[in-house]
Amino acid sequence: MITVRELFLSSISEFPDSVAVVEEGQKVSFKELGSKVDALSSYFYSNGIKKGDTVVILLPNSVEFVVAFFALANIGAISVPVNTAYKKEEIKYYVNHSLAKLVLTEEKLESVAQEVVSGTDTLVAVIKGGSSEWDTEGLDTKCLQEVLIDPGDEVIYLYSTGSTGKPKRVSRTHHNLVALADNHTQTVGWTEKDKVLFTVPLSHTYAFGNFISSVKIGASIFVMGDFNRNLVLNILEAESITVFPAVPVMLDVLAKTYLSEPKDLSSLKLVISAGAPLSEKTFHSFYDKYGIYPRQLYGSSETGVISINLGEDIVGTCNSVGRPVKNVVVKIFDEHRKELGTDEVGEIVVKSLSMTTTGYFGLPEETKEVFKDGYYFTGDLGRIDQEGFIYIVGRKKLFINISGNKVDPVEVENALLEHKKVKEAVVLGIVDDQGLERVKAVIVPDGQIQKKDILEYCRDRIAEFKIPRDIEFRDELPRSPTGKVLREELK
Amino acid sequence: MTVEERVKKVLIENALKDVDPKELNQESLLLDYGVGLDSVATLELVVALEEEFKIRIDENDITPETLETIESISRHITQLI
Repeated sequence: MITVRELFLSSISEFPDSVAVVEEGQKVSFKELGSKVDALSSYFYSNGIKKGDTVVILLPNSVEFVVAFFALANIGAISVPVNTAYKKEEIKYYVNHSLAKLVLTEEKLESVAQEVVSGTDTLVAVIKGGSSEWDTEGLDTKCLQEVLIDPGDEVIYLYSTGSTGKPKRVSRTHHNLVALADNHTQTVGWTEKDKVLFTVPLSHTYAFGNFISSVKIGASIFVMGDFNRNLVLNILEAESITVFPAVPVMLDVLAKTYLSEPKDLSSLKLVISAGAPLSEKTFHSFYDKYGIYPRQLYGSSETGVISINLGEDIVGTCNSVGRPVKNVVVKIFDEHRKELGTDEVGEIVVKSLSMTTTGYFGLPEETKEVFKDGYYFTGDLGRIDQEGFIYIVGRKKLFINISGNKVDPVEVENALLEHKKVKEAVVLGIVDDQGLERVKAVIVPDGQIQKKDILEYCRDRIAEFKIPRDIEFRDELPRSPTGKVLREELK
Repeated sequence: MTVEERVKKVLIENALKDVDPKELNQESLLLDYGVGLDSVATLELVVALEEEFKIRIDENDITPETLETIESISRHITQLI
């Protein structure tokens, strides 16, 4: 097994002049990317960032995000990608919990980052926009040769959402990520000729898995900071993009987008949908408009890519997340950990070389609960048909899935309870008539309060996708005789 | 139907399903109802407006001011028709 650094160096040596990353028309070859990575690695090294240190990457999809990740991997440091949509208090949690020595960010977010680290020893470095003190030639890169990295060393911390009130830290090693890239690329058959458009945040485990796979195979990646429908369609057409990882809501919006003239997306050979279930309606309407069916992928922060639907009969199996990718074993277990047979519904369990081997940091009980006998118990309920296609039919966990962003109801409840006029709060997921999940809050007020007060309060504290769309005020919450809140009655 | 009435209809059918239509007038502050708070919901509203008026709207042109009231949305739509 090799390290992420070796994976990256191998792509540079194999495809030096090929385009590695494109952002707003700016093309960076693998060789140029390598120089940028060396320069930033050297800057880190000379500024005291060493092997085993953690560094938060608070950046949108950009050349700098890519450079930052590989530069940290180059010196054996650990990346902690954080979604730029998060608010100050949320970012603070990731910075503190990962014991980050440094926060890498862009000029636009510098003041937020400075507020986050205020009163701590953590430093902030702006590497996108503003001054680029690291991006200079002539930096000493000899020091990099002295860093010995083992494939078993940690390279990234991803955070998994559950219903524990706070995200859980999952560590992945160089070996895990290289295995992920091997499994995924060998299954989907990508080549160095592929062009992959990333508008899903690279800080998200789904996009990250596709990103590391793209670099491994020498494909060109196109990065976009925000999802803009018309820009996405223009890039897909003008750049002849071949692979487009998306979340269902993006596909739905693209399928409904008014076009003054038709788009030629005939170069697209794979449109991936993940993060949330893809409705049949969106599956068909996307095809009707663009002539290609989206294919569902299944993965997790704990394991990386689990499966993808590359079946020939995509219409007949459109609700399936496909078969396991290479070197990944998927089984269905009942509550007694007994393996179930064809089409029997139980919990989906996964075994893979790309999955974390250490579980959740600082949470031995939670780790013991879901990592058993070499398997990861996903908390998703599903079945496997006789052709080996996996169907997800529900979940055991309590989180709410907002367009691929997982929301922990307890975290939102805790935020609401900090409002002095909120006596009690219950947060739950409801499904709207489009089949999409929404965050709903049921609040027992303590005095006069309106929906707009709650919305305004949440806006400054939690990421927008976590803010309850539906807010209901009640005099009291329905409870069982033992005092437990009857959540189902609140839906 | 006027542009304002059609905008109100789109809002009631999409972003404000739980709101009593009688509660909304042209000057009601939509942010108080959560409109414009969430980029995905905003995008869904923009797409629904495109569908209703058969026009192309660039989401980059949609500012918090555009989404302030039914009147401000209608003004933006009228410019594009």
